[in-house]
Amino acid sequence: MSATSDVIGARLPRREDDRLVRGAGCYVGDLRIEGCLDAVFVRSEAAHGVLRGVDLDAARALPRVAAAWAYADLPFLPDVPPMMDPDSVRGRPWPPLATDRVRYAGQPVAIVVGDDRYVAEDARDAVRADIDPLPVLLDPTDAAGSDVQLFPGSGNVAAEKEFGDPIDGAVWEQATVVVEASYRQQLLAHTYMENRAILVRPEDDGGLTVWVSHQAPHRLRRDIAGGFGLREEQVHVIVPDVGGAFGGKSETWPEYFVVVAAARRLGRPVRWLEDRAEALTGPPHGRGQNQRVRMAADADGRILAYELHIDADVGGYPHTGSFVPMATSMMATGAYAIPQVHVRTRAVVTNTAPTAPYRGAGRPEAASAIERTVDLLAHRLGRDPGEVRRRNFIWPDAFPYDTPTGFTYDSGDYAKALEVALNELDYDGWRAEQARRAAVGEPPIGIGLCTYVERSGAGEEFGAVEACADGSFVALSGCCSTGQGHETSFPQVVAAVLGVEPQRVRLIERDTAIIPQGIGSFASRSMQTGGAALHRAAGRLIDAARQRIAERWAVPVAEVTYEAGVLTAGERSASMADVAAGGVLRADETYAPPEAFPFGAYGAVVEVDPELGKVSVLRLVAVDDYGVVVNPLIVDGQGRGSTVQGIGQALYEDVRYDSDGLVETRSLLDYLVPTISELPPTRFAETCTPNPNTPLGAKGAGEAGCIGAPPAIVNAVADALGLRERDALQMPLTPYTCWSAAR
Amino acid sequence: MKPAPFSYVVARSADDVVAALADGRTDVLAGGQSLVLEMNYRARRPARLVDINRVPGFDRLEPDGDVLRVGPLVRHRAFEGDTVPGPLGTLLRRVVHHIAHPPIRARGTLLGSLAYAHPAAEWPAVVTALGADLELTGRDGHRTVSAADFFRGPFDTARRAGELLTELRVPLLPPGTRVGFAEHRRTHASFAQLAVIAAVTLTQGRVSAARIGLVNAADRPVRAHGAEAALLNRPLDDPAITEAGRVAAEQDADPRPQPHADLGYQRHAVAVLTRRALAQARDQG
Amino acid sequence: MTLVHLTLTVNGRAYDLDVEPRRTLADALREDCGLTGTHLGCEHGVCGACTVLVDGEAVRSCLMFAVQCDGAVIRTVEGLAGADGTQHPLQAAFSAEHALQCGFCTPGFLMLAAGALEADPGVVGDAERLRELLTSNLCRCTGYEAIRRAVVAAAGDQHPGQPESGR
Ligand SMILES: Cc1cc2nc3c(=O)[nH]c(=O)nc-3n(C[C@H](O)[C@H](O)[C@H](O)COP(=O)(O)OP(=O)(O)OC[C@H]3O[C@@H](n4cnc5c(N)ncnc54)[C@H](O)[C@@H]3O)c2cc1C
Ligand code: FES
Ligand code: FES
Repeated sequence: MSATSDVIGARLPRREDDRLVRGAGCYVGDLRIEGCLDAVFVRSEAAHGVLRGVDLDAARALPRVAAAWAYADLPFLPDVPPMMDPDSVRGRPWPPLATDRVRYAGQPVAIVVGDDRYVAEDARDAVRADIDPLPVLLDPTDAAGSDVQLFPGSGNVAAEKEFGDPIDGAVWEQATVVVEASYRQQLLAHTYMENRAILVRPEDDGGLTVWVSHQAPHRLRRDIAGGFGLREEQVHVIVPDVGGAFGGKSETWPEYFVVVAAARRLGRPVRWLEDRAEALTGPPHGRGQNQRVRMAADADGRILAYELHIDADVGGYPHTGSFVPMATSMMATGAYAIPQVHVRTRAVVTNTAPTAPYRGAGRPEAASAIERTVDLLAHRLGRDPGEVRRRNFIWPDAFPYDTPTGFTYDSGDYAKALEVALNELDYDGWRAEQARRAAVGEPPIGIGLCTYVERSGAGEEFGAVEACADGSFVALSGCCSTGQGHETSFPQVVAAVLGVEPQRVRLIERDTAIIPQGIGSFASRSMQTGGAALHRAAGRLIDAARQRIAERWAVPVAEVTYEAGVLTAGERSASMADVAAGGVLRADETYAPPEAFPFGAYGAVVEVDPELGKVSVLRLVAVDDYGVVVNPLIVDGQGRGSTVQGIGQALYEDVRYDSDGLVETRSLLDYLVPTISELPPTRFAETCTPNPNTPLGAKGAGEAGCIGAPPAIVNAVADALGLRERDALQMPLTPYTCWSAAR
Repeated sequence: MKPAPFSYVVARSADDVVAALADGRTDVLAGGQSLVLEMNYRARRPARLVDINRVPGFDRLEPDGDVLRVGPLVRHRAFEGDTVPGPLGTLLRRVVHHIAHPPIRARGTLLGSLAYAHPAAEWPAVVTALGADLELTGRDGHRTVSAADFFRGPFDTARRAGELLTELRVPLLPPGTRVGFAEHRRTHASFAQLAVIAAVTLTQGRVSAARIGLVNAADRPVRAHGAEAALLNRPLDDPAITEAGRVAAEQDADPRPQPHADLGYQRHAVAVLTRRALAQARDQG
Repeated sequence: MTLVHLTLTVNGRAYDLDVEPRRTLADALREDCGLTGTHLGCEHGVCGACTVLVDGEAVRSCLMFAVQCDGAVIRTVEGLAGADGTQHPLQAAFSAEHALQCGFCTPGFLMLAAGALEADPGVVGDAERLRELLTSNLCRCTGYEAIRRAVVAAAGDQHPGQPESGR
């Protein structure tokens, strides 16, 4: 067996663990930087209003307070840059400190800086912000039609787009069955255990060192440099250990710019460690879509048309949230071949905190809409939901498959994933149990399915491999681990190509002074894109070494062979270390593989307390296909973690606003994330359809459970309750929701 | 989330505490599991804290005649084991596992929970149902207030400024009393949405005494007198239990708006949980 | 601002500190003793990232003031490993079972489990008690199952129970 096949797929324990289990990890808050001050933000207590003035005198008078500044004190502050879609931002600028208006409760109005966070909070409390309230818009559909404009002159619809072609009206009339429904994707809080954090140290040469808990250091560097008129090399961004991110740490948040401005103006290091009260108030929030669907099918359950309208809540500023519903739109049809598809999507500003991608970033929203609707369709037709799915799947011989919404799916075998899921679930057994219970009057159970397709990866990534004279190798990557274990899995990839022990390969990432370029880690892209880049870089390193040896020994390159770290030509041989000793031996690669489309099938069995409506998940099965898996230990962990987050969305989590636009769920006693006691008995299984477009064959892993678990659970509850109309069944499925839906 | 400044004093006796409280700007620091949380949110800003954790004897927990005496430093955790004998012990043990989780229970105190009077807290309804008395100590000495009079609303009690809650006296439950507890909550980390406590004494197969308490079914802990009356002199059978649930929901409960539950659902849930608590009392004692 | 003088004994070492009464134990450990392994995830008692042992008992260091711990014996994650640096069985098991991803919750879970196992290793033999114990802390990455397995493994039990059951 070749070294490659040994190393790829090995459950190697993680290298990052030793420091983390000893408490020797280093998150931003753990850094000890001489003279560092603590920043705290004064935040708007109104969701929408005209900012008349900010009185900072009392705060400035307090001892140990270094600064208290509003926008007027830092007028050179650049606006928050758009993350993806500059069009949605035009006419809707986001000043990092409010200028004349506030558009969400919690919007920064001033910064105070003190010797420590205690005194800084004292100063915060001494600041008075004078705000005249304006009417508050909290629902994107209402906001789209409202006369109240958040940005006068620019309308509340920040982006509007259509996908597919308008559906021929005759389809609706001629179809055997047409189902319609409305779904709400509630607002969620990312709830990474480490909140956002940044520490900025101004350097003597005018540059900056920035330590930040982040997913995309190179973009942050570009944004900071661009915003403050610096050259990119002057901004050194370092991402130390990160305590989870889930999409909420890939942005350039307003607070970051204000901290940069404060540190520069004070000439001292300043850090901002967000606290949980701030984090739960947002931004960011995730999800937040109103969805309206219509689906037509013939008597056999063949889907004829699917229509999806989305009003997405992007919060007070459209900068980061507006592309999420576009991602939903492009994934609208999921695993199905549907002849007519039309999606209309609006990204709408409201007075909630700005939204951002949250684990899955648009795909869970898409999967939820279609999977709930297919289930409803099966129910209306009186057909088995698995059978209706099979009837409409894109079959393996149809790949590459162009979807009506503009993607090209690479590969897949959806029926197989579903079959594995049904077996793992013991689907027939549970159906029999369901019938038995119904017959004897025991509490009802329901079975729900979900087959999803996810898009992973986007754009290019940088990877480089260098051979060292001591026989070791260094891998450099533009990705940015936030808990996914790159220090372990990326060396595995490189070691596999080089045919050496993984221990000989060390990874460097998350430092813009060492890594020349990078995109970062989000959208389940790291292994698929960054791993593939390293795979190619390692291959090119071998080529470069062979080339150099051929020159040294004056033999044709073709005669130089490479195996397991040793180059051979005839009788002669040399190690990579020997070659490296003769001069830098390194291969750089920037690689942009096509997007990949992992997929899977989930099944849930639930019991609903017939009296109180409380849902108990009796069984959950997750079948995922991530293509080639480099380290199953890590990938299993991603599956489990994302599944529990999916359970959280389905049953517990919900950012709740009061009618004034203030977040009510300001503590973790109100915003409920699952504990170990909420875990259902869960089985995980995999199928493997390699990514045909990269040498490594990996697709993205990391978001699956957030996509697959919620619709499976919701469908199971609808099944248990025997619901014909399902609009009342909106996530989170609290006992009260289920109880009232059943009445 | 850092507390506002305060000064700190350690008490060595009840007198120390009362003396410290006299300034009207000082709060008692017991387990701190609610007070410090609120201070971290700056929802409370006492000028001074008097720490009672080092007062000898405050951890007294002992049956004395026909009551159980509980001092101000008896932590929730004390009720997890077999410390309290008899049916009262069984009831307290069932309840305590629903209060937060082990590290919070290692610090938080029963009396602190009463003083705090969180509307969804379990202990206030337990002591109300059981007809307990609370001893308050101030500059003018001791006074005793019944649990029924102590709780006035969410976070509002009959404790006067300057008073320390020095003792709780819970009547022991007569042997043969059967106890039950049913709680409805959204996750294991959340407070109760609703809970019901039941203690029923049977004499010759009929209910001779019943004590039913409702958690979070009104603006204060409720003793469900109506439901209790519905049980008296009846066998503890399904019709009686169902009737008690109905009465608890319709007469005893006075639910207030809550997220994730309208008033109708809350009343319905009172009926269901009352039934479940009583059924547990009957079937598992 | 009046400072209070106190001595914290942490992992066997005495730290003489002058702190404001309002300084939480967590901040005293992190900022004054430099022991940053104790993390702050919520500062209101829910997440458990700040869990440390005070006189042998696992508590939330965000809900205690440092002044309350004058003279107390405190243990943090930095004190778990042996004097020679050998990982504590819990530390080794967390790594072996992949019971951590971002690692932010890990010190809290380790101290929660360490306190419980020292008080009564039997806790792992009782699925219900173990569940109740581990419900104390939040982890947003792992989905918990691996944490449960790791605690069981560390207790020396060769039968980690049914790996698929979370209940
Ligand atoms: C994560 C978490 C989950 C929780 N879950 C639950 C739950 O499910 N159910 C539940 O009931 N509680 C729950 N609690 C609250 C917990 O039970 C608290 O311990 C309890 O409410 C307060 O007791 P304490 O000793 O900690 O009081 P402290 O926090 O010290 O004090 C609370 C208040 O009472 C006053 N006080 C305390 N003792 C006295 C006294 N002897 N005389 C006069 N005044 C006094 C204080 O001045 C303060 O105003 C939870 C807390 C947390 C942090
Ligand atoms: S930080 Fe103490 S419990 Fe979360
Ligand atoms: S490992 Fe990230 S929170 Fe637990």
